[in-house]
Amino acid sequence: MARLRAGDTDAFDEVYDAYRPRVFAFLLRMSRSRMVAEDLLDETWLRLVRRAASLRPDTRLGPWLFTVARNLYWSHRRDSLVEDAFAADLLSLWPSPAPWPSPFDLAAAGELERRVEVALSTLPPQHREVVLLIAREGLTPADAAVVCGISAEALRQRLSRARAALAQKLDETPAVAAFKRRYGT
Amino acid sequence: MTFDDGQNDRSLAAVAGLRTYDVSQRRTQRLRSRCHALLQAQARRNTPSAIVNGVSFRRIIGPALAGAWCLAYLVEIIRRAAAVYGQ
Repeated sequence: MARLRAGDTDAFDEVYDAYRPRVFAFLLRMSRSRMVAEDLLDETWLRLVRRAASLRPDTRLGPWLFTVARNLYWSHRRDSLVEDAFAADLLSLWPSPAPWPSPFDLAAAGELERRVEVALSTLPPQHREVVLLIAREGLTPADAAVVCGISAEALRQRLSRARAALAQKLDETPAVAAFKRRYGT
Repeated sequence: MTFDDGQNDRSLAAVAGLRTYDVSQRRTQRLRSRCHALLQAQARRNTPSAIVNGVSFRRIIGPALAGAWCLAYLVEIIRRAAAVYGQ
């Protein structure tokens, strides 16, 4: 942290290589758009660099990066919702575009993985983010609560609801058999 | 509705096992270069010599130069006035 604050590019590279794929995967699963995830990833790292000198020495970069990425995603989502509300009438005048394959359709090779990605992507974003932060990124519940800007108790409740919703969605899919075969019944 | 905890844990295990994605090599390098340039520019701005130079120019050298110019202007006015009215 001290090296990064001093502008050491080697220290930056270590952090960048360790966290870039994780932050990108988080943003990709939250936004469900590679283009949006790439833009938000750029902004996350640029914010780190701009604020590096003013970060406290005891700052933990993992939670800090996920907090920035998460806030950027929600900010983008709010802007998109406003734009969508204004554009809804105009879009209805245009012919429907061809269905665009999601990154998950293209990338998830295994049937089970694809089903999990689909189930995850259909969760509400508030549920999806806690599942991703805790299950995929390995953050502690306390860190995840800080990232999401909620209390530990609120996070516990949200995680409980998210886990239940995810399990239910997986049960609803035809992949449940494969899922049970892989993870036991 | 109640859910089996074991089932829930398996759901989280499935999420934990999902693959990690990354941006293209080209984009990775472009962002890295951009961040390096920003970091180095900030480091230069934050070095003690740069701070001292900036502070000393703003607080000492700048006002001193302006004061010297004003003093020279005033002396020249007085000298010319003395030349005109002193004779």
